[in-house]
Amino acid sequence: MRSRRDRCLAALLIAFAIAIGSDDRTRAQDAAGMAPRTASYSIDATLDPAERTITGREVVTWRNPGTIPAYSIRLHLYWNAWRNTDSTWLRQRALAGLGRDELAERSASDFGWQQVTELRLVNPDGTPGADMLASFRYISPTDQNRADRSLAAADLPVAVPPGQSVRMAISWRAQIPRTFARTGGIGNYFFVAQWFPKLGAFEGDGWNARQFFANTEFYADFGAYDVRLTVPRGWIVGATGREQSRTDAGDNTTVHRYVQEDVHDFAWTTSPDFLEREARFEHPTLPPVTMRLLLQPEHAGQEERHFAATRAALRYYGEWYGAYPYPQITIVDPAWHSGSGGMEYPTLFTAGSRWLAPRGSNEPEAVTVHEAGHQFWYGIVASNEVMAAWMDEGLNTFSDARVQDVAFQPDFLVQRFFGGFIPWQFRDIRLSRATDYNDINGYREAARRDAPITPTYQYWPGTHYLITYSKTALWLNTLERLVGWDKLRMAMATYFERFRFKHPTPDDFFSTLNEETGQDLRWFFEEAYATANVYDYAAERLDSVEVETRGFDDGSAATPPTFHESHDDKQFHTTVVVRRIGEGHFPVDVLVTFENGEQVREKWDGQSRWQPFEYVKPSKAVSLQVDPDRVLLLDVNYTNNSITLKPKAGEAADRWTLAWIVWLQDLLMNYAFFV
Amino acid sequence: MIARFREGLGRVRRAPALVIGVWLTTLALALGPALVLRSLIEGHLGSSMMADTAATGVNFDWWNEFLAQASGIGQSFVPAILGFAAVLDNLSRLADHKSLPPALAGIVAAQVLLSMFLAGGLLDRLARDRAIGAAAFFSACGLWAGRFARLALLAAPAYVFLFLQVHHWLLQQLYERLTHDTTVERSAFAIRLVLYATFTALVCAVNVIVDYAKIRAVVEDRRSMIGAIVAGCRFVVRHPAQTAGLYALNLLVAAVVAAAYFLAAPGASAPLFGFAVGQLYIVLRAAVRLQFMASQTALFQSKLAHAGYVAKPLPTWPDSPAAEALLRS
Repeated sequence: MRSRRDRCLAALLIAFAIAIGSDDRTRAQDAAGMAPRTASYSIDATLDPAERTITGREVVTWRNPGTIPAYSIRLHLYWNAWRNTDSTWLRQRALAGLGRDELAERSASDFGWQQVTELRLVNPDGTPGADMLASFRYISPTDQNRADRSLAAADLPVAVPPGQSVRMAISWRAQIPRTFARTGGIGNYFFVAQWFPKLGAFEGDGWNARQFFANTEFYADFGAYDVRLTVPRGWIVGATGREQSRTDAGDNTTVHRYVQEDVHDFAWTTSPDFLEREARFEHPTLPPVTMRLLLQPEHAGQEERHFAATRAALRYYGEWYGAYPYPQITIVDPAWHSGSGGMEYPTLFTAGSRWLAPRGSNEPEAVTVHEAGHQFWYGIVASNEVMAAWMDEGLNTFSDARVQDVAFQPDFLVQRFFGGFIPWQFRDIRLSRATDYNDINGYREAARRDAPITPTYQYWPGTHYLITYSKTALWLNTLERLVGWDKLRMAMATYFERFRFKHPTPDDFFSTLNEETGQDLRWFFEEAYATANVYDYAAERLDSVEVETRGFDDGSAATPPTFHESHDDKQFHTTVVVRRIGEGHFPVDVLVTFENGEQVREKWDGQSRWQPFEYVKPSKAVSLQVDPDRVLLLDVNYTNNSITLKPKAGEAADRWTLAWIVWLQDLLMNYAFFV
Repeated sequence: MIARFREGLGRVRRAPALVIGVWLTTLALALGPALVLRSLIEGHLGSSMMADTAATGVNFDWWNEFLAQASGIGQSFVPAILGFAAVLDNLSRLADHKSLPPALAGIVAAQVLLSMFLAGGLLDRLARDRAIGAAAFFSACGLWAGRFARLALLAAPAYVFLFLQVHHWLLQQLYERLTHDTTVERSAFAIRLVLYATFTALVCAVNVIVDYAKIRAVVEDRRSMIGAIVAGCRFVVRHPAQTAGLYALNLLVAAVVAAAYFLAAPGASAPLFGFAVGQLYIVLRAAVRLQFMASQTALFQSKLAHAGYVAKPLPTWPDSPAAEALLRS
């Protein structure tokens, strides 16, 4: 128990630290940088690859960006999600049937953990300040899971008022996990992310920090990072930022110093096996970027594919939304089997390729464009991935699909056989942006699972991906087709400019879209975003018959009504009925085509459950299409959107049955081998 | 061994009806479910305009919509049916022990039963190396069907053990252990290839013993299938190089046929041409299957029986009861 004198002394020191750390200096930093320096880290860390451990010490300078004083801190210790099988992360995986057993059966060396060994304030002169470790405790505010160790709290000896700063020293040691979620080590390849005790985000009136969930990523404040990594001599390091120095530490290790301002995370990788490649991104109107690629030796020859994809992302995202603001970007080609591919970190990302990656199919291009694109949607516009992951993943899926469509065509379907090693490229099946890149097939199966408005950490873990990524991409692409790319691009560029280095909310995005497109699109957001309603419009009936009239005329006072029959074989009465099968509402066009080539296009607001249209024309109708331009990409069944009076289903069925028969015969011959 | 291989080729060449017959059995078995699939496809497309593109090429959007609602046989209508991918898919299914779509289990079972029924007639015809006529062929089929069913019951535990247990040990447990810390895909693939080869060798070992058990049963007119298996085993053990070499040579021919199909298979662009090439490939597969039987029979006959010797009497088709009555009178 501390004495009153100690407490007073500590309080004085804190007050001094706050005074020194406040106002002028931080404001000056903010002015110099692009982002607010809310949480800045100076880190020394040492990797022991044999023991698979990291020991580190960090000094965090934190400024209270909120509107009330902060009395405590929140620390993310993400690796503790794999400390035991009762963590919230693993419980969620188990809930969704995503292989908890497999994870639980892993050896002890596959698990990971982080342990804070020192937590104290740092005095302005750099000397140790008041201890905070005594108040350190694990918390689980979301699910009250007492076994979870991924989030901790500690009390500040003195409250930190809004706008004031405090410095803290945190030491820790960690067991590097065998990769559970994109971070960990395998063999002599280490991808180290979410690896240091990291402050939560303080917003408005409190901490916005939650445990680590299986279906969410991360959220943190911007700051500056100065990191010194000690690794075995000769090992190649890639990290967020630029390498400032490389110093021989004398014990067969080397210290690599990386520095980066205006980012909200720091990740790194090391291995003796990487091949290093470098190229430049240059553009008439965008700033140049040095691209550094750390490539697996077995992927030698795929350098240009990685660079081309990164260039395409920097170019198109830059042209469409705004410039990439950093002078460098590091592309990490992850080791096979490492589980670290396809993940984004500031100024660094992991791609993912295969030893056999056929040209003409977008592997590794698709993942490279996507993760490079996250530099914009996540890195620069830093929305909250725990609460609204669609804001980065969905916007980015929409954008990367667009880039692939522009820059990497044709893209043929590839399927893999024999343990996934042998690829087969289907030259008959060309993937399309509208359906394949946006993944309507995945979304179709999960359409009703969750409404996007639900906080992401509450999504059903088994299908969160399809709501976060696919549904968002589909409704954004629908919006593009509805309002036009120019308007949508302008709106997204404005959103990018307005919220770069900030933490926008869904409302920020929607209001920017409304404002910049000049349209009130709330009707669409309120359904596509706020509900799990499914869209499905259908063509129900198409008839064309010769005009025939039967009935009584009006008659007169002198003559009773007389029955008449008339028949006009030069005029045809066409009846059309279209139907809204799904709960979702969307205005759609209805296109009727007649034998003489005439077309009639109707506008249907799509509100009622069904809608008839009737025509008398000199020609029979031949086809009916609902949403003929396929504006509504969220429509889960497009086959029922049309009717033709000259159907070719039989021909199609013949064609595909013939192909299937050969497959079945081959299968039967295989089994005949055994008797 | 090469001579027996050639002799096998000659026997198959001289028995084109058998090749055609084996091919037709697969085609006949496939036609039923194919009609079901056809009606499913036609029913799903209905009068939709999506059929316009599906009738002339690949409409992948429709295909995915079809699969999303498909059940039963419809679930097997996947891109892997196209061209040479079908061969990869089916071999990979066996090598990785992936389950069949349940709706096809009945068809596969029918194929197994039909193959079991035909095996006696095929071996008898190939062992005699001369035309025996349809009546004698089916008489032999009937004669051996029951015995081969007993043989299958004896062989089944070995296959079940291999596919359910040994496969799990090799290609799951051992593979995962060996690649646990592997970071190079090529290395992992090499390990998997070695394990595939090991597993294939074990399956082939069982298969070759069962093959010679059937051959000995037919050529020596054995009633006891346990005795046939023991005899088959003994023959393989006493002639390991020749039986293994001949088997490998036949596998090589199968690989050459697959490679030819790889080069010729047109994909989805020309359905009729694709179907014709596919049928030619199936005919060749049938011939390869018969080549296994014929060359192994020739090898056995060259070692333990003079060529052309078949112990059991030539099957004769009995006259009708009415004819017999007339003859007796």
